[in-house]
Amino acid sequence: MPSADVVVVGAGLSGLTAALAVAETGARVQVVAKGHAGTHWGSGGLDVAGLPGTATPREGLASLAALPGHPYAHLAGDVAPALEWLRALLAAQGLAYQGDLDTPLQLVPTSIGGTRLAAILPAAQAPAARPWAAGERLVVCGIAGFKDFWPDAIAASLSRPRVWAETSGPERVDAVSVELPGLAARHNLSALELARRLDDPSWRAAAIDRIVSALEANAAKPGGARPGSGRLALPAILGLNDHAAAFDEFRRCLPMEPFEMPLVQPSVPGIRLYNALRAALIGAGGRVLIGEPVAQVDRTGDRVIAVAMEAAVRTATFRTGALILATGGIAGGGIVADNDGHLEEMVLGMPVEAPEFADWLAPDAFDPSGHPLEAAGIRTDADLRPVDRSGKPIFENVRVVGTMLAGQRYLRERCRDGVSIASGWRAAKTLTAVAVPLPVAAAASGSVRP
Amino acid sequence: MVESSRMTESHAFDVLVVGGGATGAGVLRDLARRGLRSLLVERGDFGTGTTGRYHGLLHSGGRYAVKDSQAARECIDENRVLRRIAPASVEDTGGYFVATPDDPDDYLDVFPAACEKAGIECDEIPVAQALRREPALNPKIRRVFRLPDGSIEPWNLIDANVADARAHGSDAWSYHRVVGFEREGERIVAATVRDERSGTTTKVSTRFVVSAAGAWAGQIAAMAGVELTMRPGKGVMLIYNQRMTDTVVNRCHKAGDGDIMVPVHTVAILGTTDVKVPDPDVYEITRGEVAELIAEGEKLFPDLGRMRLMRAYAGVRPLYQPPADTQASDNRAVSRAHTVIDHANRDGVDNFVSIVGGKLTTFRLMAQDTVDVVAAKLGVTEPCTTADTVLPNQEPGKTYWLGHRLAEHEAEGGGDAALLCECEFVTRPMLNAFLDTHSACSIDDIRRGTRLGMGPCQGGFCTFRAAGLVAERAAGSAGAGGPAGAGGADATLADDADQAIVGYLRERFKGTRPIAAGRQLQELWMVMGMYVGALGIESLVDREPAEPAREVVDAQR
Amino acid sequence: MTIAELVREASLDQVGYSSDQCLKCNVCNTVCPVARVTDLFPGPKYVGPQAARFRMGRTQPVQLKDAPRLESPDVTVDYCSGCGWCTAACPAGVKIAEMNSQSRARLKAGHRPKLRDWGLGQTDLTGHMGVLFSPIGNWALHNRPVRRMMELTVGVHHKAPFPNFSRRTFQSAWKRRQKRRGLSRAPMPGPDKAVVYFHGCAVNYYEPHVANAAIAILERNGYQVIVPPQVCCGLPLISNGIYGEARDKANENIKILADYARKGYKIVGTSTSCTHTIKAEYREMLDLRDDDATVVAQATWDICEFLLYLHEQGKLDTSFGRLDEDLPYHAPCQLRSHGIGLPAMDLFALVPGLRARDMDHDCCGMAGTYGMKKEKYDIAMAVGAPLFEKVRASGATEAACDSETCRWQIEGASGVRTKHPVEILQAAYRAGDAARGGSSGVGGGSATGEDAARGGDSPEAHAAVRAGSGGSRARNR
Repeated sequence: MPSADVVVVGAGLSGLTAALAVAETGARVQVVAKGHAGTHWGSGGLDVAGLPGTATPREGLASLAALPGHPYAHLAGDVAPALEWLRALLAAQGLAYQGDLDTPLQLVPTSIGGTRLAAILPAAQAPAARPWAAGERLVVCGIAGFKDFWPDAIAASLSRPRVWAETSGPERVDAVSVELPGLAARHNLSALELARRLDDPSWRAAAIDRIVSALEANAAKPGGARPGSGRLALPAILGLNDHAAAFDEFRRCLPMEPFEMPLVQPSVPGIRLYNALRAALIGAGGRVLIGEPVAQVDRTGDRVIAVAMEAAVRTATFRTGALILATGGIAGGGIVADNDGHLEEMVLGMPVEAPEFADWLAPDAFDPSGHPLEAAGIRTDADLRPVDRSGKPIFENVRVVGTMLAGQRYLRERCRDGVSIASGWRAAKTLTAVAVPLPVAAAASGSVRP
Repeated sequence: MVESSRMTESHAFDVLVVGGGATGAGVLRDLARRGLRSLLVERGDFGTGTTGRYHGLLHSGGRYAVKDSQAARECIDENRVLRRIAPASVEDTGGYFVATPDDPDDYLDVFPAACEKAGIECDEIPVAQALRREPALNPKIRRVFRLPDGSIEPWNLIDANVADARAHGSDAWSYHRVVGFEREGERIVAATVRDERSGTTTKVSTRFVVSAAGAWAGQIAAMAGVELTMRPGKGVMLIYNQRMTDTVVNRCHKAGDGDIMVPVHTVAILGTTDVKVPDPDVYEITRGEVAELIAEGEKLFPDLGRMRLMRAYAGVRPLYQPPADTQASDNRAVSRAHTVIDHANRDGVDNFVSIVGGKLTTFRLMAQDTVDVVAAKLGVTEPCTTADTVLPNQEPGKTYWLGHRLAEHEAEGGGDAALLCECEFVTRPMLNAFLDTHSACSIDDIRRGTRLGMGPCQGGFCTFRAAGLVAERAAGSAGAGGPAGAGGADATLADDADQAIVGYLRERFKGTRPIAAGRQLQELWMVMGMYVGALGIESLVDREPAEPAREVVDAQR
Repeated sequence: MTIAELVREASLDQVGYSSDQCLKCNVCNTVCPVARVTDLFPGPKYVGPQAARFRMGRTQPVQLKDAPRLESPDVTVDYCSGCGWCTAACPAGVKIAEMNSQSRARLKAGHRPKLRDWGLGQTDLTGHMGVLFSPIGNWALHNRPVRRMMELTVGVHHKAPFPNFSRRTFQSAWKRRQKRRGLSRAPMPGPDKAVVYFHGCAVNYYEPHVANAAIAILERNGYQVIVPPQVCCGLPLISNGIYGEARDKANENIKILADYARKGYKIVGTSTSCTHTIKAEYREMLDLRDDDATVVAQATWDICEFLLYLHEQGKLDTSFGRLDEDLPYHAPCQLRSHGIGLPAMDLFALVPGLRARDMDHDCCGMAGTYGMKKEKYDIAMAVGAPLFEKVRASGATEAACDSETCRWQIEGASGVRTKHPVEILQAAYRAGDAARGGSSGVGGGSATGEDAARGGDSPEAHAAVRAGSGGSRARNR
């Protein structure tokens, strides 16, 4: 395998962000990943900071940056430029996001009938974030044979003031269900299958017709929501490769303003995000290999010099000038726990900062403070170099990004994506100074790279 | 979890049975078949006491043969009876008793003879043969005996016993807790029971009371003014994600901790321990206990440490120590045989017996012994027929086969039937059928009836689907022309189906917490990421203390 | 070591246990090419780790002699094409495709294999017969009524793309060539000067020109080629669940190749399917884990993998001439499973003017013999449709792909001549030589070039891969 200037291990949001930032400097970047996790499991939104009691992501960001061990302590200044850069990049790939650091955090309704704080959302989810006007209605539309979206349960739960906390929700929430063309006999539809079907303009048009009819029938009922009286919640299936056009058509043709609700994984909005990032990276000359776990990393002193990937037999080794570790923490499999409380960082074997074994998990699954183990990760210096317990960098040419970074309680702080983007951006910046230039032997003799 | 009960007009019964585990259900069935109109009351869902937390083993009796021949004989006799009368609940796994290098020869030398004496088929087979059939076994085992162990999942069993009792004119009420007895002199004349869902109380008059409350028998007896000291023995068990063995494997040695691995439906369960706990409702599972169990289990399956540990749970044994044995400090020495305590002579209450001790394998015999006493006292001469009649909803001779759900699903749905719980192949029709005939208060109740949420994702993907279906049914019955029969049965659950999601995930978490490591920890993190990150579950979490009915008991199977 | 010990030692390596890794995250379902196009396949998660928990004896080796017979509760696993994308995309390391292959074998264990499945596994038999009677064989394979009859009786779809049989096997042509050059009895050069060539059935019976190109390149780069006796790698038998016979083939190959491997010779193959089978499937599927099997696996290389390796050592002759063309490239599933990246693309990058483009499509649909089966043909065509369209739309006159059945599928459906990467590289070398006005270095011309002059075995003769749809090609006979 050819050498690369930078190898990025992990193809989630932080890994691909870092890879893109590296590729833009002209350096050769290779992303390797064991499989898909991060993006495919997420909601597709970009959570920077969502602390209860703060009005905007910027406020939350400032609060978190003031916490000494939090990744934002080093990265606060990178969030805004990184976010702007990434959004432009995604927009160029046809994936538009709305909201920024100063957008007020709103309670957005979810597909289990709860609400979550959000501000920066894909365009198709963004209409859910607008505050509810007096008298405004919500209709939740499910699809027959699709078992990941249950409109009656969602409507019942969203009708309870408790999920809206101090804000007010819709005046009334109705549930409707439609049967989509040709799917009468199907019971095990997946979100991805529906999204792919909706890429087809003629099927899409027929599907929209059915939804329109269902809404009309609902409007005809006593108290039913009239056209223009509010918004329509749909499961997040509005197209995969043709999403922008699909969402646009839904918006134009439906009598109520539609928005998507993210579902359990596999997440279509997450996959769209991944596809956009990957396409951008390939377009910038980067390479992505999925299915390649790292077998071992060679080093001399404090420099990583080669990465060996597990191949069918033997390992496939290639030299690299630097390594970005974006393996996703415990959720991503980058950190693994054994039965005795040891946490292992799987690629480089670096020390993992974590609470005491006995304190890992609170007794209540939904403890308001969360679980102390969430903060486990790799401690770094301001330039994202991993450091040992005395604060000395372990590797000169390694950067740690994303959920691997210690000190974030990302579930409750809702900071995961902001940390991923800012750290990916920052890692690329601090690396270009130290990456070793391409060895001559592997230089291509011209011609097109894929 | 059993068929929806209809409150009878006159709450007067011949016999009141307290406790809805296997023993209570067995007693109810036997009473009903002998013509005594009886009522069973259980404070939670049926099978949420010891029965629902037991190991899953259908004993051959081999474990007791050397030390307690009578207990062993009872086991093998009842083993055969259960295979006959409850085949759908029984898997004919067969059993191995294996000698690891740590196990002493003297025990092995007497083992086959002891089995023979107790009437238990025991064949020594070549080690190579056992290893070929079960490659995960410790290759260093020295000897292997094959015995007729099996495995049982208990809820179906309880269900069938109650169904038979109902067919014979008796009844059973779940979520009804006894809160007091009314005595007149030396007799109990009535019991006050409280509906745990609504809080309303009902008086039930009765001619006789049987306490089948097991580990809680002391609490029930106290309400009747009787002192009964139980010695609840906590046993911790570990559930492995898949069956590394299709055969029950026992260590061939004097009974100890962590020396049995039982394949039960889709999982394999390693057990167990024995620690005295003062209160059968209060105990925990520590990481240390988990580590010790794994260490013992590795003697049978050396690679156990690398297999996917899915969940830990614990049950409390209804051990009874008759007053004479006050010195015994080792819980294991306490007899496992059962005792029918007639409180007439002992405590001056004429119409009250408690059945304590025993094990699930012999529940039917325990029930028979109990009902023999009751019948004699009530002057009833009908013989016991519970051993001879196959339970309802079973095909004679057709025991449980692991592949049946998958095979049925493939045959009917061709892979496209709506799978609501994918891990355990629970379909929408299955769930509907359950909800049509049972009144579920929680998703946990649904779990017991269908296995929803018992697979590796521990409810991650199926919990909200179950809640969604319940809400859909409620909405359907509320609207004009909704499906008949659905209204009311799941009303409690439908009131707040989304709260039920929180409750169930919380409950599942309790079993993950003591073992959270490796892939199961990653699974937990992924599921939390989904529910907290994308689905906003925190907005559903009730910061008020939960109602008792929803928050019944902690970590279960 | 007893079998039990062997089995146990491998147990944690065993495919059956890998279902313990499953997080139920559904990512595998998102990348499955078959689930993408048909409802008949419930998806890799379902037929893999999910169904595994419902199968007895999932930790047992498959179809090992004396292993207990196990009932199989499910059938939909048969629709898995074995492309391996699920395994690649799984973040937790579940060996899903491998598990499915074993489940399929279990489904068939103890039953007589369907004639079709058995027949598709008999590549040596059909190959030899086909070559022996090649004019008739080729006529039959391209004759509609005969093909329809085949579909009715044997279950091979009448449009499934088949290449033409050669007039003689590569093995026999090679022997002739060695004899003619007086090399039959020459001492074998050392492992630094020679490689062992595993040609596979495609080369042996249908596509000797691929071998010719590979051998010419190897010789040009200073490596003599040793072609030992060998039989089918066994993959078609594995894919069709006939493990017993597959083990026989495997053991036969291993016996011969182990000697060479121990002496340090690399074993180079031009079929990514064959080389993957030797590298990984002998161990993972067939449970062949002895020293011989291991040393052979360790010594096996894909040809492009090997050439790129030479290049990284600075030893590859890079005197390629200019090839001014657009070249669509499809990476076969069984190249991705090697885990070696896309070496062909890296080699193409060395050729001036060559605009190679990875079509970036998951699977062509053929997946070995899957797409030939009458009940799977439509699925296969639907899976590959976007790829065929991309190749057609590129306007290129030829495309490249490292695996033979993929080549036949792509060519048949798109109408664009599809070659092995070594054929492209050889053309580049020739262009370079021509530009320099001389002949090439050692081993000029194709290995069986003399035969080509006698007609019948030229690359063009084998271009007539016929298929019913996607463009027709003139027959060259």
